[in-house]
This record gives sequence, C-alpha cells and structure tokens, in this order.
Amino acid sequence: MNDGRSIDLTVATLEGEAAQQIAPSREEIEPPPVSVAGGYYGRPYLKPPVWIWSIPTYFFVGGIAGSAMTMGWAAQMFGGREFRRFEQHCRWVGALGGCVGTALLIHDLGRKERFLFMLRVFRPTSAMSVGSWVLATATPLSAGSALLARADRPLRQLGDTAGAAAGLLGMPLAAYTAVLLANTAVPLWRESRRSLPLLFAASSMASMASLFELMSLSNREQAVVRRFGTIGRAGELAASLQLEREAGPAVKPLRQGAPGTLWNAASVLTASSLVVSLLPGKGRKKRILSGVLGLLGSACVRFAVFHAGKASARAASPEPELPRFPE
Amino acid sequence: MPKGFFTDTTVCIGCKACEVACKQWNQLPEDGLHFSGMSYDNSIELGASTWRHVAFIERPVALSGQNAGDLSWLMLSDVCKHCRRAGCLEACPTGAIIRTEFDTVYVQPDICNGCGYCVVGCPFGVIDRLQSDGRAWKCTMCYDRQKDGMEPACAKACPTDSILFGEVSDLREKAAGRLAQLHERGVKEAYLYGADKHSQPGTEGLNAFFLLVDKPEIYNLPREPEAPSIRAKQSWLSLAVASAGMLAAAIGAVMSSRGRGAR
Amino acid sequence: MAECHPVGFQWVMEAKRRGATIIHVDPRFTRTSAVADIHVPIRAGSDIVFLGAIIRYIIEERRWFHDYVVHYTNAATIVTEEFQDTEDLDGLFSGWNPEKHKYAAEFWQYQDAHVTPAAGHREQESAETRAAHVTRIGAIQTDPTLEHPRCVFQILKRHFARYTPEMVEETCGIPRELFLKVAQTLCDNSGRERTSAFCYSVGWTQHSVGVQYIRTAAIIQQLLGNMGRPGGGIMALRGHASIQGSTDIPTLYDLLPGYLPMPRAAGSGTFQKYVEQNRSASAWWSEFPKYIVSLLKAYFGDHATRENDWCYDDLPRLTGDHSHMTTYAAMADGSVKGYFVMGENPVVGSVNGGFQRAAMRKLDWLVVRDFQMTETAEFWKTARNDASNWAITEKIGSEQINTEVFFFPAAAHTEKDGSFTNTQRLLQWHHKAIEPLGDCRSELHFIYHLGRRLKELYGSSEDPKDRPVRQLTWDYPVRGAIQEPEAEAVLREINGFSVADGKPVEDYTKLRDDGSTACGCWIYAGCYRNGVNQTARRKPAPEQNWVAPEWGWAWPQNRRLLYNRASADPEGRPWSERKRYVWWDEEKRSWTGYDQPDFIKDRPPSYRPPEDAQGIETISGIDPFLMNADGKSWIFVPTGLRDGPLPTHYEPIESLVKNPFYGQQSNPARMEWHRRENPYHRPWNDPAFPYLLTTYRLTEHHTAGGMSRWLSWLAELQPEMFCEVSPELAAEKGLTHGGWATITTARATIETRVLITARIKPLRIRGRLIHQIGLPYHWGSLGLVRGDSTNELIAFSGDPNVSIQETKALTGNIEPGRRIVRAGERPYA
Ligand SMILES: Nc1nc2c(c(=O)[nH]1)N[C@H]1C(S)=C(S)[C@@H](COP(=O)(O)OP(=O)(O)OC[C@H]3O[C@@H](n4cnc5c(=O)[nH]c(N)nc54)[C@H](O)[C@@H]3O)O[C@H]1N2
Ligand SMILES: Nc1nc2c(c(=O)[nH]1)N[C@H]1C(S)=C(S)[C@@H](COP(=O)(O)OP(=O)(O)OC[C@H]3O[C@@H](n4cnc5c(=O)[nH]c(N)nc54)[C@H](O)[C@@H]3O)O[C@H]1N2
Ligand code: SF4
Ligand code: SF4
Ligand code: SF4
Ligand code: SF4
Ligand code: SF4
Ligand SMILES: [Mo]
Repeated sequence: MNDGRSIDLTVATLEGEAAQQIAPSREEIEPPPVSVAGGYYGRPYLKPPVWIWSIPTYFFVGGIAGSAMTMGWAAQMFGGREFRRFEQHCRWVGALGGCVGTALLIHDLGRKERFLFMLRVFRPTSAMSVGSWVLATATPLSAGSALLARADRPLRQLGDTAGAAAGLLGMPLAAYTAVLLANTAVPLWRESRRSLPLLFAASSMASMASLFELMSLSNREQAVVRRFGTIGRAGELAASLQLEREAGPAVKPLRQGAPGTLWNAASVLTASSLVVSLLPGKGRKKRILSGVLGLLGSACVRFAVFHAGKASARAASPEPELPRFPE
Repeated sequence: MPKGFFTDTTVCIGCKACEVACKQWNQLPEDGLHFSGMSYDNSIELGASTWRHVAFIERPVALSGQNAGDLSWLMLSDVCKHCRRAGCLEACPTGAIIRTEFDTVYVQPDICNGCGYCVVGCPFGVIDRLQSDGRAWKCTMCYDRQKDGMEPACAKACPTDSILFGEVSDLREKAAGRLAQLHERGVKEAYLYGADKHSQPGTEGLNAFFLLVDKPEIYNLPREPEAPSIRAKQSWLSLAVASAGMLAAAIGAVMSSRGRGAR
Repeated sequence: MAECHPVGFQWVMEAKRRGATIIHVDPRFTRTSAVADIHVPIRAGSDIVFLGAIIRYIIEERRWFHDYVVHYTNAATIVTEEFQDTEDLDGLFSGWNPEKHKYAAEFWQYQDAHVTPAAGHREQESAETRAAHVTRIGAIQTDPTLEHPRCVFQILKRHFARYTPEMVEETCGIPRELFLKVAQTLCDNSGRERTSAFCYSVGWTQHSVGVQYIRTAAIIQQLLGNMGRPGGGIMALRGHASIQGSTDIPTLYDLLPGYLPMPRAAGSGTFQKYVEQNRSASAWWSEFPKYIVSLLKAYFGDHATRENDWCYDDLPRLTGDHSHMTTYAAMADGSVKGYFVMGENPVVGSVNGGFQRAAMRKLDWLVVRDFQMTETAEFWKTARNDASNWAITEKIGSEQINTEVFFFPAAAHTEKDGSFTNTQRLLQWHHKAIEPLGDCRSELHFIYHLGRRLKELYGSSEDPKDRPVRQLTWDYPVRGAIQEPEAEAVLREINGFSVADGKPVEDYTKLRDDGSTACGCWIYAGCYRNGVNQTARRKPAPEQNWVAPEWGWAWPQNRRLLYNRASADPEGRPWSERKRYVWWDEEKRSWTGYDQPDFIKDRPPSYRPPEDAQGIETISGIDPFLMNADGKSWIFVPTGLRDGPLPTHYEPIESLVKNPFYGQQSNPARMEWHRRENPYHRPWNDPAFPYLLTTYRLTEHHTAGGMSRWLSWLAELQPEMFCEVSPELAAEKGLTHGGWATITTARATIETRVLITARIKPLRIRGRLIHQIGLPYHWGSLGLVRGDSTNELIAFSGDPNVSIQETKALTGNIEPGRRIVRAGERPYA
C-alpha cells in the first residue's frame, strides 16, 4: 500500500510529526514558459484563503445580527413603550443571527469538533479571536435580553442590561469581519483596511434594515428602519467608492471576473434598493422590493470582497519590472 | 536563546537532501508525481506536506566572479522563516501556534481547529491547511529533535552547509562574515534577506534568514514582508468610527420617529 | 560531481570557501557548473583534444615541474626504434595488426628493456618475449636532458604538437580564450608551492577511448608534479557504494583479489608460467608470488601445498572475454543457460535494453537478487519496450518465454554488517541496524549457504572436476536464527594470517610464498591488524592529525595518499613547507610524515640499485612509483594498454564530425558487436541522425532506479523521464516546453518530456552548429514513476582495455510528439 511514504510498517512506526497526514496529490500544473520575466515562474508568493462560501455568508448574517442588536439597544434606550415590540424583534434577530453565524463558522472549520477551541485563548492581535469572543458573548446576551423581556421587574432589568451589552457588542460584531480581512497578507484586503470596516458596517446596517423591511411593521417602526437603512445603503455605496480609491493597484481583482460582476451587481442592487425605499408611498410591495434588493446588495458586497481577496492572493506574484535588488 | 537557520544560497548545490530529510524525519507523504517544467523543481512550493522546498532559477545573466557565459543557475532551499514577529502566530485564535523555548514558531497539531486564519496571516505563503485532515501545517524547525538536543534534519543532511543551524546571534555573525568575504571576492550582488529587524521591520527579522544574490522576487520571496498586525490599528480605528456612526444612526433613527403619528 | 557525489562535494565547496578555483568541464551546465568558478562547455567525446592541448601548452610555455618530471616520471626514458607515432601512421601506432584488429605490444617497449605493466593487460606479452624480462632494470636508458629524439618527452612533444588552442575551438567548441584561461589557471596552481587535483567519473570513462581520457589527465598531472602530493592527484569518483571494493576484491571476471590476473586457458597453463607472466623482474610486482600463494592458501587451506602448486589447478581459467556485453551476446545465441543478477538492473541500466531482454528470453533460468521486482526480474513483463528496438520485431507475450525466474529479496546495508570501500580506498565498517525482514538475506548469506550446499553435494564425489569445490575452505562461523555468516570472519581472512597460529598478519610485507601465510587480498592486509577491525575505527578529526589515519582504514597499509614519496624532492626534503607531507628523517634513517610513507621505510633517497639487483632491491631512492617496473610514473605506457602508449583523439563510434586529426576515425582497437539487434550509425553529416546525444544521472535518482523510482520521497523529485534541449534546437524542431518528444537512434525510439533550457548550448564545430541532447537514464517500465529507458537507444560497444560501453556520445534524432504505441504494446499504467 503506498500512502506516499514508502514506509514499511512491519519495521517502522508512524510517529513523525506529520505521520498522520493523508497524501494529497498536487494537481498537474501547466509548465510555465521557459523564461519568466521576474518572479518565480509566475507563481504567487502567498497562499490563497482556504475559506469556503460559509465565511462570506457569515459576514452577511453576522452583520445583520450586529446591527440588529445595536438597533435593539437604541430602541430600548430611546424608543419607550411603543418600541417594545420592535426592540424584541431586534433582540431575536440578533440572537438568531448569532446562532446561524456560529453554525456557519463551524461549518468552515477543518476540525469542527474543536470549535470550542476558538475560546481557548483571547488574542488581541487576532481579529478572529476578538470576533469569536464578541460573537460568543453578544449572542447569548441578545437571546437572554429577549427571553427576560416578559419576566417581572428585577429580571427584566437584568434583561435590559444584557440588551445594552449586546447592543454595544453588536457594533463590532457587525463589522469586525472587515478588520479580520484587513489584517491579512492578502493585498486587496490589506490595502483597503481603512474603508473595509466602514463598508461592512454600512452594509450590515443596510442588510439589517432590508430584512426588517420584509416584516410587517408599524408606521413608526417603518420610519426607523427606512432612515437606518437609508444611511446604511448610502454609506455602503460611498464606502465602496472609497475602497476602490484606497486599494490602489490591488483593486484589480475587484474589477474583473466573477468578483467584479458581484461587486458591480452589489452597487446596482444597493443603489436601486435605496431609490425604491425613498420613493413616495407606503405600499408593502415597495418595502419588500427594496428589502430584497438591499439584502442581495449587501450579500453581493461580502461575496465580491471575499472572492476578490482569493484572486488577489493567487495573483500575488511580484511585478517583473522591479529594479534589480539591492539598488 | 533563539535558534534559527542561516541559508547561504551561494553554496547550495540543489541536491534536495534537505527536502528528503525533512519528509523522512517528519514522515510527510509524497504530494504529487508530475513534471513541472520549472527547471529541476518539481516540488513547486512550500505547503502542508512540503516543509522544505528547493527553488531552481535559471538566469540569463552570469553571477559575477563566475565564468559561465551569460548564464547562472540559482538554488535556494526555502522554509518557514520562523519570523520574530510571526503573522501566523498573531492570527491564530486558538493558541495552537506557539513560540517555543527555542524562539521558533510551532503549530500544535492537537490544538489547531483548522480555522485557516494563519494561512492568510503569513506574508510568505508558507503555512497551509491540509484538505484531508483540516489542520494547518508547516516546518516545526524540528521541535522534536531540538528538544533532544539534535539539529534539524534538513540542516543535518545538507552536505555543503548551505543550511546552517544555530543560535541566531552566531548565525548573524557568520552571515556578516560570509557576506564580507563574497563582496571582497567580487560577488557584489550578495546581500542578506531578513537578517534583522532593521533590514526587515515588517517581520522584525527572521530566525531563518538567507543570503541571496538577486532580488527577492526571483526566489519568490516578498520584497517587504509584513506581519499583518503591524497595520491593525488603522482598521480597528475605522471600525470604531463605523461603530459610532452606526450607533448614532440607530439612535437618530429611533429618536426622529418617536411620538409621530400618535394622533 | 555535485550531481552524483553531493556528499563528497562538500569538500569541494569547503575548498572553494577557502579560495580554491573550481573548473567544471561538461557539455551541460549542471548543478556542479552552478557553483564552479569556470564552466567549460565541451562537445561530448572530445576531451582528449582539450586535455592534449593543455599538455602542449605546458610544454610550449615551459610550465612543467622539471625536477619532478626528470626524476619521478619516465619522461627521460628512451623508447625502442620500433615505435612509430600516430603522427607518422595517420592515427595508428606501430604494431597494428589489421587482421586481428589488435596491437602487438613489443613495438612500444623501452629501448633494450622489456617491462611488465603494473596493471592492465599483462598477457599481452607473449610468453616468449617474457624470457627477456629478466633483463636488469639497469638496462633502461635515459636522457636527463630530455633532448634525445626518442626519449619519452620528445615523443610526447611531437605527439601533441597539433593539439593547439585553435584545434580545441574547432573540435571541442571551446573558445580559445576560455581554453587558455583554464590552462593558465591550472599551471599557475601547480609547482612546489601549490597542487591541483582532477576529479572525474563516467563522463570520461564511458567512451570507446575511456581509459585514454584518464591517461591524458595523468600525463598533465605528471608534468605538473601533481601526483603523490597533498592536494594533487586524479580522483576517480566511483559509482555504487563500495564499487571500489568490488574491484579490489573483484566482481570483475578477469581479476583475482588484489589485482592479480585471472589465469587464462591459453598461455598460463602451469603455475610457473602464470607466475612468470605476471611477476615483474623488478620493483614491487616482483613480490607477486607471495600474494598469489597466500591467496591460494586462503582459498584451499591445507589442500594447497608446494607439491600441487598450491592448488593452482583448482582455479578456473579464462577462455576469453566474459564481460557483460559479450556474455549477453552469447546468451542471445543460446550458449548461456543460467544467469545470476545480484544488485544490478541491466534491463534498464545496461545498453540496448531491448537486445538484453531478447537475450534473457533464451535463458533456462535467471536468479535475481534485489530489493524489489525490478524490470530485470520482470523482464518478461516489459516486452512492450522491445517494440522500441527496430531490429527486434518479434512480438513476445510472456507465455512464449520459457525462462524460469527465481527472485531473492535482498537485505539492505542497514540489515547486515560489512564494509564500504570508497573512492579514496578507505574501508569503513557498517554495523547491522536491524535483522533482515522476512526472506531478505545478505549477499554473504546467499553465497555462503550456496557454497555450503554445493560442498555437501560434491563432498563424496570422486570426479576430479569436482575437486575444486571439495578442496575449497568454506568454514565461516554463522550466527542467529537465519544462520548469518560473520562478516568479520571474512574480513579476518581477507586481512590474512599466519597458517601456523592463525595470527593476523600486520601488512602485506609479512606475506610469504612458502605457504606459511594465507591472505584473501594482499592489498587489504592490515585491515584486521592485531585482531582488531581497523575499518570500524571512528576517531573524531579533532583528536588526530589532519590526515586522520585513525578513521577507518585505507589500503594499502592504511596509506591515505599513494606514491607519497613524491611529496618530497629527490633528496627526501619536502618540495615546500606548504606542501610538506612525507619526508626522509636523516637521524632516524627512515621515512616519516603525516601519513604512512609509500616507500621502503629505511631506503635512503641516496640509494641506487647495484648492477645485479633483483626484485624490490631494484627500487632506487628516487623511485616513488614502485609498482611500476622502473619505479617511475608512466607518461608513456610501454605495455599494458591495448590502444596505444599515448592518448590519441579518436571520434566516438557514432559521431557527427570527421576526425580532424587523423584518417583513423575511431579507436582502432574498440570493441563492437556486429549483429542485427545492434546496428551502428556510421556516416557523419547524415540527416537521419543529426544530433549528438549524451546521457547522465540526476541527483534525485540512482542509476537504473531500483533504489529511487520505488521510493516516493525520491520519485516525486524527478517524476518523469525528460530530455534537455537548447532553446535553439527547440525552435528548430518545434519542441514545446513540458511537451513530449520522440528520440530515435539506429537502435530504437523512446519518448520523453521536453525541458528546454539555456543550460544546454549548441556548439560551433568547424563552422557547423552541433546540437547536443541531454538524456538522464533512470526510468523504466515499473516503479512509482515510469518512463522509457534511455538505454534502449544505445549500442553495445566497448573500450578495448576495460570493455566499457560508450554511453556518453552517440548520434540520434528528435521529433516533437509521443512515440507511436504499436499494436500489442502496453502503455504505462
Ligand atoms: N545521485 C546519484 N549519484 C550517483 C549515481 C546516481 O545514479 N545518482 N550513480 C553513481 C554511479 S554508479 C556512478 S558511476 C557515478 C557517476 O558519476 P558521474 O560520472 O558524475 O555521472 P554522469 O551524470 O553519468 O556523468 C557526469 C557528467 O558527464 C557529462 N559528460 C557526458 N559526456 C561527456 C564528455 O564527453 N566529456 C565530459 N567532460 N563530460 C561529459 C554529463 O553531462 C554529466 O554531467 O555516480 C554515482 N553517484
Ligand atoms: N546510458 C547510460 N547507461 C549507463 C550509465 C550511463 O552513464 N549512461 N552508467 C552505467 C553505470 S556507471 C552503472 S554503475 C550502471 C548501473 O546500472 P545497474 O547497476 O544495473 O543499476 P542499479 O539501479 O544501480 O542496480 C543496482 C540494483 O541493486 C539493488 N541493490 C541495492 N543494494 C543491494 C544489496 O545490498 N543487495 C542486492 N542484491 N541488491 C541491491 C538496487 O535495488 C538496484 O536495483 O549503469 C550503467 N549504464
Ligand atoms: S514564515 Fe509564515 S508561517 Fe513561518 S513563522 Fe513566519 S508567518 Fe509564520
Ligand atoms: S488553522 Fe490552526 S493554526 Fe492556523 S490559525 Fe487556525 S487554529 Fe491556528
Ligand atoms: S527544520 Fe525540520 S521540519 Fe523544518 S524543514 Fe527542516 S527538517 Fe523540515
Ligand atoms: S541540502 Fe543543502 S545543498 Fe542540498 S539542496 Fe538543500 S540546501 Fe541545497
Ligand atoms: S548517496 Fe550515499 S554515496 Fe552517494 S553521495 Fe549520498 S551519501 Fe554519498
Ligand atoms: Mo557506475
């Protein structure tokens, strides 16, 4: 049996560091041209992200959850009675989003059974570590606050405190994923490190609003959602323009191929949802339309950024026209 | 005391003994039986199952001091750099990646949960996640051997001492000496890559550093590698700004629509 | 050397670090060239021109080491009038017999003195001329002024007069300036204060003039005084681990241990005759009888007595050439019934694989001992390849092959005790790490028990032809469950012992021709000195002098540098402080130094043999090369070689160019096998085969691949058979990088991947652009990685002295695309 080791197990023991590895076979590569100008046969010097679809999906869901929690807190503080229902909606959406998000994250792990190790340490240098803690605290807080809402006084107060905490954590939860991307070696993400959090935050607001637009809401609630959404959508469009400027040459992958299409789609969808939502009239259909457009828009933003990042890592091969080193 | 490698590419003969020694000691599997056409390099790159990789570069220019027409063949045995400031380690949320008593960067296979964040955290594209077992793998600088006072397998196997293992401070001295010698013999292209914090602030210096004779890109090494966390502040800051805006927007939205339509 | 001796090459790199200049002469730009100071691209098969031109340069520029040359070489010796040079005979020396395709050796002898060769073909001399051997060494005439027209020096000068830098450029494709740079660098680094060394391996030997390549280098080293001195010499980088050991204690058909020739059916009938033929009247080989008698005592013990000529008649006799290719040809003709293959994979490793397989099909039985089922063990499976050989048209299915194959799994060196003898004649003992698995057994085990069973079989036989088996001593102690013979017991026997008390002999000077000593290999005498396994010594370098005499054991007499008497001047003083090594100590009246002096310890430099001196008394105080009959190193070889006393440029058997020096195109004495399955390609300028092929190794694989193609960690490093071609040739033929090419010679066709690289350069030879194609030869049809075998392409051919095949230069063609898979061929799976 050849497991890629040619080790005779009747004499040898598999105790080496990598003894348990199972041989993967590298796919055959297209032989490069005989002389490649600069670089190493045009090979990237970076490894592309290994993450799958569930990660950008989490960005999206987590974003909704985060904004919802924050919105919930705002309602709790300044909404008064009339916004109790709305407040609860927010808390539930936050809690639910947190749970779905966690599931999505676990789904991507190479070792799902070890997901709890995420909370094994707290490492400020790792946005993923920070984010895990945020998610892991905000979610139960949000759920707790929602559950305790109907309880009597002392407990309800506890619930409100939880709601407030969740609200606070909701903001980082909504957009820490942008920091997570920005703090990598992937050129696109790295180069857009300032605008990326703004983009994700705005986008999460937009998506949260869009989701609520699909629900049946009172006029006031509608008004809140529309305003919040408008700021989000406008912010999202502004931030994406800002990102393209900030990224400089690294923006390329965002301008071509599938990521490019997603990126453009995102702008169009968000823009149109913004327009639709601002059209006069209070029709339900209108709200649903702008809601759907908005959700699609901010989903596209996440997937575009994610896949463009992968492409930009794969393309991370040094430019040929660099001067001879050292000058 | 920090341990590391000084890899002097000017004495590398591309025999790949280091690659084989690494695979044999760590019992790594073979990972592909294809002809690459990349000179004599069929390992292509470092990865989850290839922790040493010898690069072969055929250049249409002679190495100064060498009389070989308009041709030279550069070889470099690449490996995890065990950065002083390691992107992979700083990224690892589980604490699977640790800095050992030898100041090397080690992935604990029994902790790693395969989140894959280190993969994008490494500015050199060294560490990778293995599909089959979902964990991240890279050179351990033979942590197991070092604990038994043995030098790493690759360095041990290297016939020409292209790979020198030892205390980083000694290695730096040796490297400086070798560099001076080469310069004085007219190999003016020679320079050190990642030897210290000053020459490579982004990583604060590499415990596994190199002597090169052409620009880093030629060897598929980044010109200015940087541990991502170095610029983390900027993104956290804009996250703060964004959060503030978000809260303001939420509060504003609520306030502005309070008590309306009460009638 | 970096490619094939990477571990040994560490010392080259160490020398380079210390400022040594590394010059690499190779058709290709290899991993060695990559770290060399100078790379000299040369047309494969033309080195004698390059080296000959260096000889001419040394003479013209008066750069030779005069004192050394006059006293230590035969430069001053006068040669017989009968000698005529290739310059006079258009590429032939005197004594050529066109009918027999052989030289008669007497024509190259010294004036008035016939000498015996230290090595090589002693039988060349007919017994009659031998009578003259008794001539006193004093009869040799010399002219220390080197002026005499028939002295070796003048002959040499005339012989290489036309080997000019211009001819180098014309013939080898090496720019004049580059040649001059090399010649100058070499001369500047030789003399009293400095020495230079040559390293070579099969890039030089595997030619129809292979031996003469090395001879040319030897002449350079003699002229520059680089022999027998530290930092000098000619290093034969050997092949398999202990391949040196297997020539010392030979697997070669025509030698007995210690370079004692195998008796021949013709000529060496009686013991007396045999001894007379092989013993020299003078110098060290006059000791010959002691060595053969001691060997026979080791073989036949008490059976060997003076009365029965020490059982000399129990030794088999050579009836002719039994070298590899000759034997396979005979096999193909059905006259070889059974065959042992131990540690070899000829189907891939030896030339004309198709023919080899065809021959093996004629065997009744075949025994293969190897680690795994190699292409040889399963030759009947690989019939598909036979279609690649034009001449072999028969489609053979395994059911049509009647050969019975016995496969014996072999124990690896880690599974058995034993010694490796390396390039430097250094024996190093290795201890068994683990018991061999399953049925794996060592060679020692196999041979010993085979012999044991044969003895049991013939023990009671009265038949005289069985006598040798009965009389053979075969009493090695065995150990353990598998009855493994004790390797050290064998080493003890090799070392030799006094028959009376079985005490190990100290060294070969203690051996006797009266039957009182037995010795398995005289040059190894001392490896078990004082009953201690000297080869197992591993004293660290810092704890001993820089010669490190206590690491392992080197033959002879633990001597690390041969002929080291030459490291001192005629008066016995070091040539220079810097190169101090061995010298004469006047007080102690003895030779001394860092190494074992290679001289008679108490023989002063002033000693001159008396007129009637005999045996080793004939060795004067200034004769460092005491194995040679005249004690001098031979620039001119008066006897022992079959293709001339001086190296001469002959084109490879298959060449693209006409010999620019002589009418004689190729080595006249070369060996060829003229038969259907082995066609040659003669004419140059033939469009059918317009390119020059050369073959070689890759660091990542080992020879025929039995030890690398089955190992994942090695196989993945060079996974596919490929050819190396220049961008120019690729453009000319439309070859694509990474694509496929088909390569064809007069014998066969194979397919390979294409690696286009500037490391292969077309050379301009006499105005014509010559393209060279590089072919590694490691692949075969089995193993983890598979591919066509280069050796399908190559013909049986041989150098006349050692019958080595010409694999380094031949002609062929290349076309883009894959080989057409003919009907009935199995593609690799
Ligand atoms: N890794 C590895 N090491 C080995 C072996 C192996 O298979 N793999 N094999 C072992 C054995 S058995 C042996 S014999 C040795 C052989 O050791 P080498 O002789 O070094 O091996 P080769 O590669 O066959 O030939 C050496 C070089 O000769 C060049 N050459 C070809 N024709 C000519 C010529 O006409 N003139 C000159 N100057 N050069 C020429 C070739 O381009 C090649 O680069 O290696 C031993 N070591
Ligand atoms: N075209 C071309 N052809 C060449 C050459 C060339 O340069 N060019 N080089 C020639 C040279 S120099 C050589 S040496 C030959 C080599 O040719 P071969 O000797 O035929 O090839 P190897 O693969 O070395 O065969 C050695 C076998 O011995 C086995 N083995 C190893 N150790 C042991 C052991 O302890 N016991 C036993 N029983 N088996 C063992 C290995 O598995 C391997 O299969 O090739 C020759 N052929
Ligand atoms: S090179 Fe990459 S993997 Fe190695 S220590 Fe540095 S960051 Fe980590
Ligand atoms: S993949 Fe493993 S090692 Fe890498 S960051 Fe995640 S937990 Fe740490
Ligand atoms: S140090 Fe050990 S693990 Fe790292 S490359 Fe060398 S042998 Fe492999
Ligand atoms: S072992 Fe040493 S010489 Fe050989 S390839 Fe590796 S680094 Fe280079
Ligand atoms: S394979 Fe063995 S013999 Fe060849 S270089 Fe390596 S150690 Fe030396
Ligand atoms: Mo060999």
